[in-house]
Amino acid sequence: MITFKINGQTVQGEEGQYVLQVAQKYGIEIPTLCHHKALEPAGMCRLCTVEMFDGRRSRFVTACNYPIWEGMEINTDTESVHQGRKLIVELLMARCPEVPILQKLGKKYGIEKPRFRAEDDTCILCGLCVRMCERMGNSAIELTGRGVEMKVDTPFHTQTDVCLACGACASVCPTGHITLDKIRDEITKKKNVHLIPSEYDMGLKGRKPVYVPYAQAVPNTPAIDRDVCVHFKTGGCQVCTEFCGVNAINHNMEDEIVELEVGSIILAPGFQPFDPSKFDSYGYANHPNVITSMEMERLLSASGPTGGHLVRLSDHKDPKKIAWFQCVGSRDLNRCDNSYCSSVCCMYAIKEAVIAKEHAGDSLDCAIFYMDMRTHGKDFERFYNGAKEKGVRFVRSRVHTIDPVHGSDDLSVRYVNDDGSLQEEKFDMIVLSVGLETSPEVVQMAKKLGIELTEGNFCKTSTFEPVATSKPGIFVCGAFQGPKDIPQSVVDSSAAAAAAGEILAPGRNTTTKQPVKIDEVNVMGERPRIGVFVCRCGINIAGVVDVPSVAEYAATLPFVEYATDNLYSCAQDTQDTMTQIIKQKKLNRVVVAACTPKTHEPLFQETLINAGLNKYLFEMANIRNHDSWVHKNNPELATQKAKDLVRMAVNKVGLMQPLQEAELEVNQAALVIGGGISGMTAARSLARQGYETHIIERGERLGGQAHNLYKTISGDLVADKLAELVADVEQSKNINVHLNSELTALDGFVGSFKSTVSSNGSQKEIVHGVAVIATGGAPLQTEEYCYGQDARIMTSLELDQRMKADDPALAAAKTAVFIQCVGSREPQRPYCSRVCCTHSIDNALELKKRNPDMNIYILYRDIRTYGEREYLYKEARGRGIIFIRYDLENKPQVEVADGRIQVTVTDHVLGLPVAIEPDLLSLATAVVPNRDDKLAQFFKVPLNDDGFFVEKHAKLGPSEFATDGVFLCGLAHYPKPIDEAVVQGRAAASRAVTLLAREKIKTSGQVAQVDPMMCSSCGVCVSICPYSAPSFIPADARMHAGKAQINAVLCKGCGLCVASCRSGAIHLKGFDNDQIFAQISAVSWE
Amino acid sequence: MSEWEPKIVSFLCNWCSYGAADLAGVSRMEYPPNIRVVRIPCTGRMSPKFALAALREGADAVWVSG
Repeated sequence: MITFKINGQTVQGEEGQYVLQVAQKYGIEIPTLCHHKALEPAGMCRLCTVEMFDGRRSRFVTACNYPIWEGMEINTDTESVHQGRKLIVELLMARCPEVPILQKLGKKYGIEKPRFRAEDDTCILCGLCVRMCERMGNSAIELTGRGVEMKVDTPFHTQTDVCLACGACASVCPTGHITLDKIRDEITKKKNVHLIPSEYDMGLKGRKPVYVPYAQAVPNTPAIDRDVCVHFKTGGCQVCTEFCGVNAINHNMEDEIVELEVGSIILAPGFQPFDPSKFDSYGYANHPNVITSMEMERLLSASGPTGGHLVRLSDHKDPKKIAWFQCVGSRDLNRCDNSYCSSVCCMYAIKEAVIAKEHAGDSLDCAIFYMDMRTHGKDFERFYNGAKEKGVRFVRSRVHTIDPVHGSDDLSVRYVNDDGSLQEEKFDMIVLSVGLETSPEVVQMAKKLGIELTEGNFCKTSTFEPVATSKPGIFVCGAFQGPKDIPQSVVDSSAAAAAAGEILAPGRNTTTKQPVKIDEVNVMGERPRIGVFVCRCGINIAGVVDVPSVAEYAATLPFVEYATDNLYSCAQDTQDTMTQIIKQKKLNRVVVAACTPKTHEPLFQETLINAGLNKYLFEMANIRNHDSWVHKNNPELATQKAKDLVRMAVNKVGLMQPLQEAELEVNQAALVIGGGISGMTAARSLARQGYETHIIERGERLGGQAHNLYKTISGDLVADKLAELVADVEQSKNINVHLNSELTALDGFVGSFKSTVSSNGSQKEIVHGVAVIATGGAPLQTEEYCYGQDARIMTSLELDQRMKADDPALAAAKTAVFIQCVGSREPQRPYCSRVCCTHSIDNALELKKRNPDMNIYILYRDIRTYGEREYLYKEARGRGIIFIRYDLENKPQVEVADGRIQVTVTDHVLGLPVAIEPDLLSLATAVVPNRDDKLAQFFKVPLNDDGFFVEKHAKLGPSEFATDGVFLCGLAHYPKPIDEAVVQGRAAASRAVTLLAREKIKTSGQVAQVDPMMCSSCGVCVSICPYSAPSFIPADARMHAGKAQINAVLCKGCGLCVASCRSGAIHLKGFDNDQIFAQISAVSWE
Repeated sequence: MSEWEPKIVSFLCNWCSYGAADLAGVSRMEYPPNIRVVRIPCTGRMSPKFALAALREGADAVWVSG
């Protein structure tokens, strides 16, 4: 260790270090342009000149490459140093007048205009690029020439193939003299010099070879891209190792093969977006303003390449007109092989158009060119209607070609309107709504695993086993099972987990370990003894905030017994040290000033538990995400803010009390309400996983609506499959079926429900830990289209019944008409019933099979055969079934007179009314839910306007309710075909098992509590709580009758009741008024 | 007047805005340091008393986000 002085301050450095390094360690500022931490210093720019006193005389040395020695005295800020630096800056400014960093330095040293003759260079000859290139293991560039001729160049001034175009030189150049363009035009012989495309930003932005894939990546740690990292090409560089504070980087790591023993495999490889560059006529590959929908997603995203500002890529101007082209790479056998519908594109295109209008304002013209608008998901039709109201244009036309407009960046399209007229329109940019497809790698993997694929290369599954592959034990979920959106993927994934859980149930908890329990120290009544740990987070915090001074300051705060700083507080060894310190110093409150509690609070709470402290005696001060990372150019104020944040945390933590987490046994039985397909599937899955299950069914038999269905789209008879399922359920020893039964009362909450069920007049009580609502739906009862006036007019389900019964009238019919959307997609029922298009087409095909000469007409508004159901639509058209489109304003007319049925509809191509006289008229009536307000009230779960239950989260929680312990599946959620009902039944079981398998639920300690003495029984808390946690204490209770109480198990700790309580009777533990006031009063504003 | 910077106390919902402030950090978005964040479990917890307390303690503005 060498001790010397800088500006009178005694400092220490290691043997072999240079003055600049030691100065930087002590936060003493010395300006420099040519220094880089990873490179040997060269003393080129001279800006770091300091005054060195060796005991006898002073002289000027360059700090970056002057080695330190014992007893020397350095002055960095004397008048003569200042004068010297000013001259250097003046000379550099004269050489490179346009360079911003020099202009900034000039301002700092008070130079308005250099006294010397101005040149027009941009290179200051610092040589950083040359040294960096050498470090890269390349040395493609050198300082060539002598004296005034000196410059950075390649040998013989020719482009060289030694240069890898890695861009390291450009990245260190302080003046911007070296650019990617220069590298391409003057240095390298490589043709493609561009940024490494960021996969996350769809190539619209560059990324580094060392990178975190995206902001919320899990794990959120950087990786080195071996394909582009220079070290793996030349053996040089490794600059990153010099910057990593914890030596985490190891360039010698190799791929390893890990063998895992598993009982089941779930395939969730997802999809790849279709690549439209092969469509020449769209010019995606050549025209920057033709983009894919995935690129549009990034352009609209606040975390995207433009920060959410919508621009077109050619000139970064705000677009005025945008068009979306649907079905690019879907429903297309002409230009690609994907004849299926990708299911999701209509909806995402509408979403993008609406968001684009939100970003750019109402004047933005958005047009969606489509064939059929497929908004068949829950609440999607409403969104579609809303988009129309917001002015999004929907044009039913498939455009063939995009023509660039000569002399501008605009794009021109020609298309044929609905009425047959040719239109020409110009757009600023065009978004191709690309479809979903299985990647070749996944197809390979499927081959290797020996699982069968469909003709569209999706995993082959069956209607009643929609997550099982052709290989036992291997399950599938998500877009590999078929193109689908997020909610359906989430349902799938839960179902696949349940399917795996069913075969693995006997092994549950056989390889888990129990953590050792440490006894909690009782700190009640003790004076607070607060420990403050301030984290440096390497340089993440310490690079901006003066961490030692924050720790010093913390030590002066009231009740603080101990304060220190750590390099990385989250490191395992630091955690161990913290545990020791808490014990030794007998701390009873802990503050960690570090990163965000959202990611690290549980970790530090674990440390408290290990030290025997209650984990709620803890508070974090967020001095990284909310401070050092966002105020890096303001270290002084950032340090001030850090002190403030620490004081706020210390003030609060002093008032924290140890909180108890109540433990609650989860009753190991389940109740399923509804004995249809999804209810039975849920029950069977629960039973197979070892849980006692009760099904209560209102009707006299199991099976629900499935009894009315003839066959599945893959041709299986529903009755056969249903019989198998019913037999499974009836024979299962874990399932109790209660027919002719209804729920008449419900008591309790998650883990311990008490249901009163009335069966055939008698009442029984069922105790259960979870409940699944599968109350199903029914066909709409209608009088439209003369239904009920003629036996030949029937609903889709009645047609199924006749097919089942082999009614000879069916084969004898000469003409059949199907009318779609009977009661669906109408103002009083603004949702799509999802199943009817496929059902009608399937039935039409069945009729064609029975009588190939039959004339069949399907009158529709949009055909919504999503996913691989599209093949049926294609087949139907191939077999001569005629599809006539109508719209809501101009519905088909049906008349029954003289024993004849006459259907009149305006043909959308001819524009003329067509009269058809069918022998059979099938009405695709809407699916309506078995609306059950009583049930909704029992479980405190909401219903939407249409009478369907509202799930916890439309995308991420489709099979569960916000109310804990209550789950949802089948038609009660939304109309769906059998396969999706089966999947959701299993998904609901899966979600329920996550609770049941825990056996005990631990509540959070941070819950609301009522002080009954203060409570005025006003009932605001009871009515306002979204989780039904507060209730009134029964009037006949011995204590506090009629006052409010809060169930800690149901309470989510949101504090809504606390803020709403007029009497101030409710306290939120961990966020109580006094604690928040303490934080507020700790803010200082000097 | 142009030099004047308001002193702001913000009450951020743990689940959205507090996370957004974290993300602003991860994204290294710079903003002026004259703001202090109080984390609350939900904006439902926000009480008018907190806003008044902040103003009384010297804040020029109170920002509630959730």
